Amino acid sequence: MAGLELLSEQGFRLDGRRAGELRQLRARMGVFAQADGSAYLEQGNTKALAVVYGPHELRGSRGKAPHAQALVNCQYSMATFSTAERKRRPHGDRASAEMSLHLKQTFEAALLTRLFPRSQIDIYVQILQADGGNYCAAVNAATLALLDAGIPMRDYVCACSAGFLEDTALADLNYVEEAAGGPQLALALLPQAQHIALLELNARLHQDHLPRVLDAATQACRHLHALLDRVVREHLRDAAALLGK
Amino acid sequence: MAPARYCVPGERLCSLEEGTPGSGTYTHHGFIFASLAGCFMKKSENGMLPVVSVMRDVDSQLLPDVGATVTCKVCSINSRFAKVHILYVGSTPLKSPFRGTIRREDIRATEKDKVEVYKSFRPGDIVLAKVISLGDVQSNYLLTTAENELGVVVAHSEADVRMVPISWCEMQCPSTHAKELRKVARVQPEFLQT
Repeated sequence: MAGLELLSEQGFRLDGRRAGELRQLRARMGVFAQADGSAYLEQGNTKALAVVYGPHELRGSRGKAPHAQALVNCQYSMATFSTAERKRRPHGDRASAEMSLHLKQTFEAALLTRLFPRSQIDIYVQILQADGGNYCAAVNAATLALLDAGIPMRDYVCACSAGFLEDTALADLNYVEEAAGGPQLALALLPQAQHIALLELNARLHQDHLPRVLDAATQACRHLHALLDRVVREHLRDAAALLGK
Repeated sequence: MAPARYCVPGERLCSLEEGTPGSGTYTHHGFIFASLAGCFMKKSENGMLPVVSVMRDVDSQLLPDVGATVTCKVCSINSRFAKVHILYVGSTPLKSPFRGTIRREDIRATEKDKVEVYKSFRPGDIVLAKVISLGDVQSNYLLTTAENELGVVVAHSEADVRMVPISWCEMQCPSTHAKELRKVARVQPEFLQT
C-alpha cells in the first residue's frame, strides 16, 4: 500500500478501529408516517433511509409476477449529494440496478412471501451518505423498515462487509478501505438460523483465506444482529408506552 | 398483568408439542418461531394445546382470500362483467383498494344465461361479494354474488337518493318512486343497523 497505511503495526485501522471492530451504529424505526414502514440507519458515516409499502395490489406488468407468492420490488438509489463527487442520476444506472437486484434476492430469502399471493411488497432504500458498505447499510435499514411495517419474515437480515489486508481480515470496511482495491466480501445473514441470504466477493482472494474473511463477516453480522435487536426492542417498548399499555 | 414479553422475527417461541402456531408465527424443524416484532400471546382453550401468536399494536395489511366475503364498490360495467374496487375484507377496511371483477355468469346462481350486467349493478353501488379466485395473469380478483345474501346493499337512484330494496331484483327510489333493477342482497338481520 503506497502512502496510506490502512493497518498500522499496532493493528489499528485508519479510523482507529481494530480489525474486527464495527463502526458505530445508530438507527431509528418509524421515521415516516405515510409509508407502511420506515427506518433510518447510520453505520459510521454511511447513512441509509429505507421505506416499505405493502403488501398491496400488483402494479405494472403482471406477466413477471410469481403466482403463489408476493412480488418483492426493491429500488436502491443514492442521493446526488451522497458521494464526494456529485452524482448525475440517483438511480437507474447499472450499479444501482445491480444493487436493487441483490436487495431483492436477499429479501426474497427472508420474507414469508407465500403468505401474500398475488400482491406486491415495495422496498425503497436511499443512501444519503456513502462511506463504504452501502449494500450492508441498505439491507440493515430495509430490515428495520420491514419490521416496522409488520411484514412477516423468517429472521432479521443482517449484512456486513469484510476485507482482507496484510494477512488480516477486516470487518465493516469504510470507503477508504474499499477504494484501496483489496478483496471485499459482502455477506447477508439470517443470524439465528445461520443461513446465508447473499454472499458476494468482488475481487480475487485465495481460497485458503476465504474461511477467515467469511468468519470475520459472520461475526460482524452477529454483532450487528445484537445491535439491531436492541433498537427493535426499544422501539417496541416505546410504542407500547405511547399507547399507554 | 405481567409485563408483556416482546418477541422479534426469528425468535424461537416454543416447540410444536407445547402449542399450535397462530398468527405472526411460522414453524421450522418442529419449533414455533416469531415472524413479526410484537407482543407474545399464549391462549389456551379448554385443554387444547395453547395457540401461540405474536400480536402487533397496529394490524398489518390484510389481503382478500379465496372464500372471504368482501365489500366493494362498482366502478365500471360492460355487457360481460362489472369492475369493482374491494374496500373491506369481512369487517376490516383495506389500506389500499384492490381491483376485482364480477363476471356476468357469476352474478346469480339461477338462469345464468339471462343475466344482464346493467340490470344487476350500476357504477357507484356498494356490493357484497365473495372471492372465488385470485385471478390469473390477465385478470385480478374474481368475485361472485351468486348467493341470496350477496349482491347490492347500497344503491342510489338517478335522482341521487338512496334506494330501498323491494324485491330480490328491484329497488325503489323513495322520492320519485322509480324502480330500478339490481341484484339485491338479502342482508342478514343481525347486520342491520336500526
